[in-house]
Amino acid sequence: MKWWPMIGISKVLTENKKYATKTDVKRMKIFKRSLHIYTIDVGNSNILNFEMRALQTPKYNVHRFGMYFAASPRHADLLIVLGKPTKKMIAPLLEMVNQIPEPFGVMLLKGCESSGIDPDELKIPNVVTSVNGCLDPSEILAILLKISGRID
Amino acid sequence: MKKLLGAYRQNGEEHLILQENGKVFVQEGNASEFENSVLLESRNEYVKDVLSKEEISGNDIFDFRYGPVTSGIGEAGIFHLYTYGERILSVKIDTSYKRRGLDERMINSDINDALKLSEEICGNFAISHSTAFSRAVENALKIKVTRDVELLRSIALELERIYNHLYVISRLAQAASQQVLASHLMGLFEDSLVTNKIFSDSRYLMNFNAIGDVLKIPSRKELKDVSDRVKKIENIFSKLYENSMSSGNYIDRLHLTATLDAKEAELIGLTGPSLRACGVKEDLRAYDEMYPEIEITSDEEGDSLSRMEVRAGEIFESLKFVRKTIDDLNLADETTSPNSIGSGEGIGWCESPSGTIVYHVEIENSKIKDVYVSTPSVFGMSAIAHSIVGNIFTDFPFVVESFGVNFSDAAR
Repeated sequence: MKWWPMIGISKVLTENKKYATKTDVKRMKIFKRSLHIYTIDVGNSNILNFEMRALQTPKYNVHRFGMYFAASPRHADLLIVLGKPTKKMIAPLLEMVNQIPEPFGVMLLKGCESSGIDPDELKIPNVVTSVNGCLDPSEILAILLKISGRID
Repeated sequence: MKKLLGAYRQNGEEHLILQENGKVFVQEGNASEFENSVLLESRNEYVKDVLSKEEISGNDIFDFRYGPVTSGIGEAGIFHLYTYGERILSVKIDTSYKRRGLDERMINSDINDALKLSEEICGNFAISHSTAFSRAVENALKIKVTRDVELLRSIALELERIYNHLYVISRLAQAASQQVLASHLMGLFEDSLVTNKIFSDSRYLMNFNAIGDVLKIPSRKELKDVSDRVKKIENIFSKLYENSMSSGNYIDRLHLTATLDAKEAELIGLTGPSLRACGVKEDLRAYDEMYPEIEITSDEEGDSLSRMEVRAGEIFESLKFVRKTIDDLNLADETTSPNSIGSGEGIGWCESPSGTIVYHVEIENSKIKDVYVSTPSVFGMSAIAHSIVGNIFTDFPFVVESFGVNFSDAAR
């Protein structure tokens, strides 16, 4: 059996740029060095699901900022809501918020689709930011860095 | 064999959307004569194995409800797994949590608004949906599309195929704990999304199609950049793929997992790479004059490994197509402004990364009077439900990911 080619070792794969955002966020500095994230799809067109996967690629290397994606809401500090909920996804979403241990934050990424219910109307507790539009992973990462107090 | 992809009623008559030998057509008939007709009625709520009539029940059998929120499934949907512990005996897939009613919202809307809604159905198949929808409208309103537009759409379709197939293979690698391979593939996936952005100004090739036209003509510099990036992806992917195929740990997890034979696949109505992995060399692109040199990739065994190999073969074929088409592209300076006003009825289709997407539209005074959308994920999910029977829960991710289905595509 051959070894895997070590393509990434001699090259800088990580995007080498400064992150900045003008999005309004409520900072959670307690998570500055360790932010565990859980994502929930509430009915988006799959673009936001794919962007969250893209954010986990070596190019963005979010672990260098102490960010990790949790497999359960019980292990999470921040819940990212992807899209605008369909009627049937409202109950699972609210239950998910119940399951996160305190202290926690909720980030609403509404996407650019026209369908669904505005999650702002659901009065979800501890919303740290609510963002419209289709964001790319760099923009999402910048918002996460601002939430954790790593950038101004 | 004729495969039933959809059915709609017009003037009291039932019309069937069928596919046979790589061609899509409509004919009058009775959908209930096809084994998979039940899928057409239930697809907004659930999808099940259409080839199994027996109900699974017994003392120790329970419904293991996997979803709609679990890290094992990326989307809002539920797999009802009927099991007595580890072995899966039957599956029913609930699509209703992701139902947004986009096809219903298209009715009475303007053609251009409906085009946007078609992209929203499934973001990672955005260009496939918008191309099939545009072709249906162009067919209905007798709009002639220039060769340049068709070529640019074909490049976009292949770019979409590349990133979707890379995504599927990386998910399979991740499921087999091949983290190094999975990370490299996800890196390539991100690179291909960046390539899409250069080509169309959108990472998911959205807002690229228009009725009878495309909204962006990439500059020579952008096309050269796309071609160079595609070449780079080809070089890296070929090394990764060659190495992955010599990893026994990886291959063992895929080999003979969720096997489907050609007859079962066709009765279910399966199309795309999953059908080709069962030995059926059927691809809508074979009859498309934009693809004069396409070689259809297929395999014989019909298992998860075959489906992965077909997708890998298609990545190479698509990368080659994109580079060659860009090299030969000689875009005319003049642009057309098609007149999308009028009434009519038409059908349009295209080969999406996971199979055939078909739109049937009726247009009255430039508004959509009726629309029927056939999506490949409905049949893909039924194939999952059929082929997973007898496998154990540990194999679940290989079965689900290898078919490349999306709840958003199935539920619309």
